[in-house]
Amino acid sequence: MHVLLVEDEKSLHEEVRQFLVESQYLVDSAFTYAEASEKIFVNSYDFVLLDLGLPGGDGLDLLREARRNEGQEASFIILTARGAIDDRVKGLDLGADDYLPKPFSLLELQSRMQAITRRKFGLKRQEMTFGAGFELDATGRTIRHAGQDVPLTKKEFDLLHYLLLHRNRVLTRLQLGEHLWGNVLEDDSDSNYIDVHIKNLRKKLSQFAPADFIETVRGIGYSIKS
Amino acid sequence: MRLEAKLALFNALSKLLLVLLGVVLIPPIMSRVAVSHTDERLREKSEQVLELIGRDGISTFVQGEEYADYNILQQEYITLTPLPAAAASPGNPPARIFDEPRQVDDKVEDFRILSQQISTNGRRYRLEIGSSLATVELLTATLRRMALWLLVVGAVLTILSDAAFAHYLLRPLHRLIVRKLQGVRHPSAFSYEPLTTTTTDFRRLDDSLNDMMHLVQSAFEKEREFMSNVSHELLTPVSILQSRFENMLQDPSLGEAHSLKLVESQKTLYRLRNTVKTLLLIANIENEQYLRDEAVSVQAVLTDVVNELEDRLAQREIQLLEDLQPDYVLPRANRTLLFTLIFNLVSNAIKYNRPAGRITVLGRPGPRGGYQLAVTDTGPGIAAAHLPHLFDRFRRFQAGASAPEGYGLGLPIARTIADFHKAKLTVESEEGRGTTFTLWLP
Repeated sequence: MHVLLVEDEKSLHEEVRQFLVESQYLVDSAFTYAEASEKIFVNSYDFVLLDLGLPGGDGLDLLREARRNEGQEASFIILTARGAIDDRVKGLDLGADDYLPKPFSLLELQSRMQAITRRKFGLKRQEMTFGAGFELDATGRTIRHAGQDVPLTKKEFDLLHYLLLHRNRVLTRLQLGEHLWGNVLEDDSDSNYIDVHIKNLRKKLSQFAPADFIETVRGIGYSIKS
Repeated sequence: MRLEAKLALFNALSKLLLVLLGVVLIPPIMSRVAVSHTDERLREKSEQVLELIGRDGISTFVQGEEYADYNILQQEYITLTPLPAAAASPGNPPARIFDEPRQVDDKVEDFRILSQQISTNGRRYRLEIGSSLATVELLTATLRRMALWLLVVGAVLTILSDAAFAHYLLRPLHRLIVRKLQGVRHPSAFSYEPLTTTTTDFRRLDDSLNDMMHLVQSAFEKEREFMSNVSHELLTPVSILQSRFENMLQDPSLGEAHSLKLVESQKTLYRLRNTVKTLLLIANIENEQYLRDEAVSVQAVLTDVVNELEDRLAQREIQLLEDLQPDYVLPRANRTLLFTLIFNLVSNAIKYNRPAGRITVLGRPGPRGGYQLAVTDTGPGIAAAHLPHLFDRFRRFQAGASAPEGYGLGLPIARTIADFHKAKLTVESEEGRGTTFTLWLP
């Protein structure tokens, strides 16, 4: 996957780039409006990650310009720290595929990119297998084991799905909590809801097969090993 | 009441007063006019009679006792009565005019009478000329009616013309109100098109209104720009750090001690981020950056909130009772914000409840219209001393059982959202029994 990262803030640019490279993306960089405009015109990308406040112009204009070009197939994800509410609406109206307000979690960015890819290539049923014979159906939102449904609550499913999407990565309680609760502003970051969810997940899964693939990384978080 | 209606009303009232004054004053004036007119005529007639007597001699009229002449309808009469030769009366007393009844044929009628004494051929006569008072009355009545009609017609005509003129004069003001003020809730919706008017006062009003709105609008813009810059300046470094921590945590060579420190730093950063976001959210709501353009059902939002929180309820074995009778649809609301408001209330009720406690969400029509939604928990309650500061943005409580940290951010947001919807958010609490937050929707 070929990604153009348009972000003028050098440190942030470097962090996002590093993350994407580690996640096996091919990353191209642009720091200014002109640079980005040229690269979008010349190369073909799968994704353009677009910051709105760029030196030399507004990211929204870049999006507008790109969308006028019919051959343009890149998916645009807007990344911005501008507080304005209409930016989101405007961006999506102009044809952006998604919108992530800064600060965002890199894992969240990766999940969104995966979701867009699935949409784009019409992968309706995205199934994953894990543990000893478990199957996850992301569209039907079900977990099965040997043809039998594993009954999970909505949040338990989301948690498991997120861990599976980022297999072999340690996810902190904060990252998991942020994914589950989204935009709701909570300030009890020490809440143990995640721990309780994991405990319940293990209990429910182990009624079908051993659930030792969910690992606790002490003091940090959880991960699923494959 | 509109200015135009007030002017018309005032006008009509003053004209009515004028008409009433006319009704009171015209009859006496008219009868005086009629009487003096009659007197004048009587005098003229007496002169004519005297002239005739002078020309034809008294004997033409008075042969024997008395001369009397009535017209057929008994409206007027003339009598010449010889008087006994009075003892040495020099000259004749002046003519008198008075009202007296007289018998004419077999009827008694009131007459206005001019009576005077005349001397001719060495004899004295009394000349009386009478005019029936009924005739005088008739004349008075006619005059009075005409005068009153004139007055009423004049009053009605001037009321109409004044109203039309006031309407014409005040039209620019009316246009100003309809076009510029009605329905303008935000300076961006204001129309700066100048008003066409030749009235200086309206011109000034319009100009200063435009100037003021320009000022308000630029203040709004400045604040919006400021918020946008602040959020960019504050959130970008947070974003950098967050991404860096995430990347570092994935590094397999990182020791456990450092990993733990990173997770702690992440938590601190998360708190900072949420504080900034909360402030921005509150500022954005207060700056009218959100729209209130949907009709939102309270029940529907509550259902969403409960769905989102059912895991937490289950984890703490808290029972939630929803009792909305009936449901209420808020006509102009922002669903996302309303969700946040109710989410914060219910989530607090879970956080500060005792395990296996109870939450009641009660919805009822308000006593004076509107609707009230009360969220009650069975938690430890909040000390009365803390209640007034519960919604303050940065006040944290002293440590202790009734000093929940998390009340710090959720409630100021809830209060701001309530204000935005013109609703009131109040709290009541009893230590040891529980707390009730009540949302009073308009």
